Amino acid sequence: MSRALGFLSIAVFILVLFSAASPAFAAKTLVVGMELAYPPFEMTDASGRPDGVSVQLARELGKALGRPVEIKNIAFDGLIPALKTGKIDLIISSMTATSERARSIDFSDPYLSTGLCLLVGKDAPVASIADLDQPGRTVAVKKGTTGHVYAAAHLKKASMLVLDKEAAAVLEVVQGKADAFIYDQMSTFRNYQRNPETTRAILKPFQTESWAIGMRKGNGALKAQVNRFLADFRRSGGFERLGDRYLKEEKESFRRMGYPFFF
Amino acid sequence: MSRRRFQILFARSRGNHEEIPRFGRAVGVTSALFLLALVLSFAFSRLNYGWNWEAVYQYRRMFVSGWLITLAISAASLAASLVIGLAAALSHRSPFLPLRYLGKIYVEFIRGTPLLVQILVFFYVVADAFGIGNRYLVGTLTLAFFAGAYISEIIRAGIESVGESQLDSARAIGLTPYQTYRYVVFPQVMRRILPPLAGQFASLIKDSSLLSIIAVSEFTLNAQEVNAFTYSTMESYLPLALGYLALTLPISMLSKYLETRYRYAS
Repeated sequence: MSRALGFLSIAVFILVLFSAASPAFAAKTLVVGMELAYPPFEMTDASGRPDGVSVQLARELGKALGRPVEIKNIAFDGLIPALKTGKIDLIISSMTATSERARSIDFSDPYLSTGLCLLVGKDAPVASIADLDQPGRTVAVKKGTTGHVYAAAHLKKASMLVLDKEAAAVLEVVQGKADAFIYDQMSTFRNYQRNPETTRAILKPFQTESWAIGMRKGNGALKAQVNRFLADFRRSGGFERLGDRYLKEEKESFRRMGYPFFF
Repeated sequence: MSRRRFQILFARSRGNHEEIPRFGRAVGVTSALFLLALVLSFAFSRLNYGWNWEAVYQYRRMFVSGWLITLAISAASLAASLVIGLAAALSHRSPFLPLRYLGKIYVEFIRGTPLLVQILVFFYVVADAFGIGNRYLVGTLTLAFFAGAYISEIIRAGIESVGESQLDSARAIGLTPYQTYRYVVFPQVMRRILPPLAGQFASLIKDSSLLSIIAVSEFTLNAQEVNAFTYSTMESYLPLALGYLALTLPISMLSKYLETRYRYAS
């Protein structure tokens, strides 16, 4: 009998545990999710604290809304699930507002525009994106990015390497295992600068896209607040200041090469 | 409730030696599963989540191909790890000292470092230096060497559990070293190492998911890709759990069967 009772009490205990853990709302803190692996937008400073353009943007937003801000570091492809299950309130993680994503979450007005371009091996016979859609070509992408989605949809003849880390994708190109890595302009430029002997950057974007702040569907009040903040922040020169602080070198280089800058 | 009225729910003794009658086993299994289903269905019913199975169903071919790749990689590295593990365990007992210490260093290095680092270093440094570009081959070998270190310790423990006196007795009745291993050591070792070996094989299958970091298109990576395309996390990962169970359950069943086959030895 004691054994049967023991089983019963364990079952009840587990049920209680589950019911106690699920509803966790009501906190006024604004929880912002981002992957701190994309400098200078999302990164950590020397002492491990979150830093970067997106972090400053989140703090300014919190100030404007009068809410304390908590930054949560979440892997990029876990951000939307975390938002949908209520673990975070906003995504500010250099996320492109695509129509596929817009089916499961809402986006603010765009705050930045950039484009997909190519980091190719020094001797790879690739001059543009069209050269990649050939049998025998290998394309590296980072999992869950718009480059990944683009390659899966448009580069059907090439073989695709799906990698977790940006650094691994760059290494694939450096070692000649992949012909090209599809990523955004700024990162491609930086990766090329770090590996000038083994890579080339083809910075002309073949698909332009814009970044926006993600939030749960059906939250119109928050969306209006965020959009108002973004408009005010742009008007008061906030984005220019962030660009000067974090992206000075890129800003110069892109102006010299004649590509429009991001903000 | 008295124990006699519910005696169908109880074994006659603790431990795992008696034959449980078929009816009692059915009742026990059913009620255990029922309890589990109760907890899980409650947990899922509390989850506020928009299910979207259709989007995931469109990518079913990725699940199938990923599962087959995982099956192939696991089977190949499982066989290779058994050979490597046996060789390393025997080298531990070798009279030739460099070989003995090579075995020891191999086991300590592999067991003491993360598999993630081993995969990255083997693929981007070692294999690259030797000009091996096939990530599936390198991945399978890395897994085999990783599991081999654990298996060699399992086998070594099994061999050492056979008492010194038995080896002396075997020598005394004139058995050759081969005969000693074949008829005295091996049957006892088999029986003792099967449970930990089955556990090691199951974790080898699950560890193969780490190969996704060098873009081996296996089961876990494909499920993550489906998640990335559809933003349907639960719907992408629940089939993943079932797929891995379909690989690990046969292994533990085979191990149970072999355990009863070698039971005579004790």
